[in-house]
Amino acid sequence: MIEVEQLAKSYGFARALKGVSFTVQKGEVVGFLGPNGAGKSTTMKILTGYLLPTSGRASVAGHDVVAASVAARRCIGYLPETTPLYGEMRVDEYLRFCAEIRGIPAGRQRAAIGRAVERCVLQRVLGKNIVELSKGFKQRVGLAQAIVHEPPVLILDEPTSGLDPNQIVEVRTLIEQLGKEHTVILSTHYLQEVEKSCTRVVIIDQGRIVADGTQAQIAAAHGGAALRVRVRGPADSVRAQLLQLLPPGAPLAAEGGGNGVTTWRFGLPSAASEFPAAVAAQACRHGWQLLELAVEHASLEDIFRKLTGAKAQEAVHA
Amino acid sequence: MRETLVVFRRELRSFFLSPIAYVFGILLVSVLLYYVSEGALQNGARASAEGLFATLPLMLVLFLPGLTMRMWAEERKLGTLELLMTFPVRIGQLVFGKFLACVVYLACVLALTLGLPLTLGAYGKLDWSPVLGSYLASLLFASSFVAVGMFWSSTTRDQMVAMLLSLVSLFVLYQLGNPQNVEYASDWMPAWLVDLVSGLSPHKYFVSIARGVLDSRDIVYFACFCGFFLYANALVLESRRQRG
Ligand SMILES: Nc1ncnc2c1ncn2[C@@H]1O[C@H](COP(=O)(O)OP(=O)(O)O)[C@@H](O)[C@H]1O
Ligand SMILES: [Mg+2]
Repeated sequence: MIEVEQLAKSYGFARALKGVSFTVQKGEVVGFLGPNGAGKSTTMKILTGYLLPTSGRASVAGHDVVAASVAARRCIGYLPETTPLYGEMRVDEYLRFCAEIRGIPAGRQRAAIGRAVERCVLQRVLGKNIVELSKGFKQRVGLAQAIVHEPPVLILDEPTSGLDPNQIVEVRTLIEQLGKEHTVILSTHYLQEVEKSCTRVVIIDQGRIVADGTQAQIAAAHGGAALRVRVRGPADSVRAQLLQLLPPGAPLAAEGGGNGVTTWRFGLPSAASEFPAAVAAQACRHGWQLLELAVEHASLEDIFRKLTGAKAQEAVHA
Repeated sequence: MRETLVVFRRELRSFFLSPIAYVFGILLVSVLLYYVSEGALQNGARASAEGLFATLPLMLVLFLPGLTMRMWAEERKLGTLELLMTFPVRIGQLVFGKFLACVVYLACVLALTLGLPLTLGAYGKLDWSPVLGSYLASLLFASSFVAVGMFWSSTTRDQMVAMLLSLVSLFVLYQLGNPQNVEYASDWMPAWLVDLVSGLSPHKYFVSIARGVLDSRDIVYFACFCGFFLYANALVLESRRQRG
């Protein structure tokens, strides 16, 4: 549904995107995750035809966003980061304007607007001027605008930023429903949002994609997992055996617990490794009492920090 | 065409909803009528319909920038331009729709001054065809200034900057075509140069057609003048796509 290939964008000398590639299949809800200034909005502005890429190409529903810009834009509903609206218009007037400019035939406009209003629960504020609305309602008007023409693709730039916790829940629920019928890309820097609403995650940092996949895939590829082993047995011999299993130089942390019990923690090369089985086999062979054997998965937050935080540190020092 | 009309309708509504449009309309009409009635007292009724059209250019120079300054600058500042440019609409359609809305708005304001020739017509014999010709000329002239004002509005997100730039450029255009300046310049400049420079100014054409005699060449001139600035306007918006 969306294909992005080696997309690059410079603002003057500042390189905001440095070769971004990813694809989104029909029906996916992709969370575009990254710290501020990573290039999320820039990517979305290029996809929606507002900005032209410096190099690379992108297509939406098979239409190139540069060569067939208008055709691509027809397939997209877009909620920009700042939720721009015409304050002096009433909600119903504004939605009518959006329906008209999207080319919905006059006979179908009423139904289309009605459906968008219902989905975004705007019935109560239809006759109000947009300036008078709360931030949550403005956001919902922005969403109604994005879905009024029932586009196959929805591009939502930080749809929940600046809302209070109740409004965030409302908007998230709405997005979850929309995700059932539309292909969605939403950007955010709230990790829970991705964990709750998205089928896939693309992590972007400083104009590059640093991770792409389902949460489990990303955890396996980048988080690594840790193995926690609590055994009762002679600490020195346990350490020696464990070190034999591990690659040379791998860190092994130990925490004494009294009564001859020690808790060992070490990084696993991947979550799917056979390591726990090997540890269990050693325990049997040497007669240790295995009290606990647990694989600890890194949370998305840890991975996000690891992938984007460390580089930010480097950048500061460079 | 449909898209242009949708943009046109929204923009026209926003004109009629914005306070500045009312301030502009009332100011323009009252200042015009004030000068004209002053002239009428001194010179009798005959002069006043002409006086209306003689005062119009300077009034437009002074007031129009306040009207056109917001047309793109505000959209840029509010971010609605971003949304507008992601609708399946070509930039030319956006530009032309907005332009038409402003011209129609001005036509409404000009129509408010129709009371004057109507009154004159009631008191004496008034030849309507030159008056209507003058109104058409005024509208063409105002359109050319709208195109300039809109162009400057597209170059910035700051309405004050747009206003000042429009004010200065409209004033220069006004002076280039001012009959007194043309006469003065003819004394010491070669005729072809005077013609060339004053020929750039819509004011010169306005002076020649405001008497009510419209030439098709004049209409072509105004169409080209507006076309040039509207095209430049579209180019500025398009280049924003490139630069970000
Ligand atoms: N209009 C612009 N002009 C210059 N630099 C910009 C502009 N917009 C964004 N940038 C820069 O490009 C980078 C990416 O910005 P953006 O795409 O907005 O990031 P995000 O949405 O992930 O926070 C940032 O470093 C930002 O400062
Ligand atoms: Mg952003």
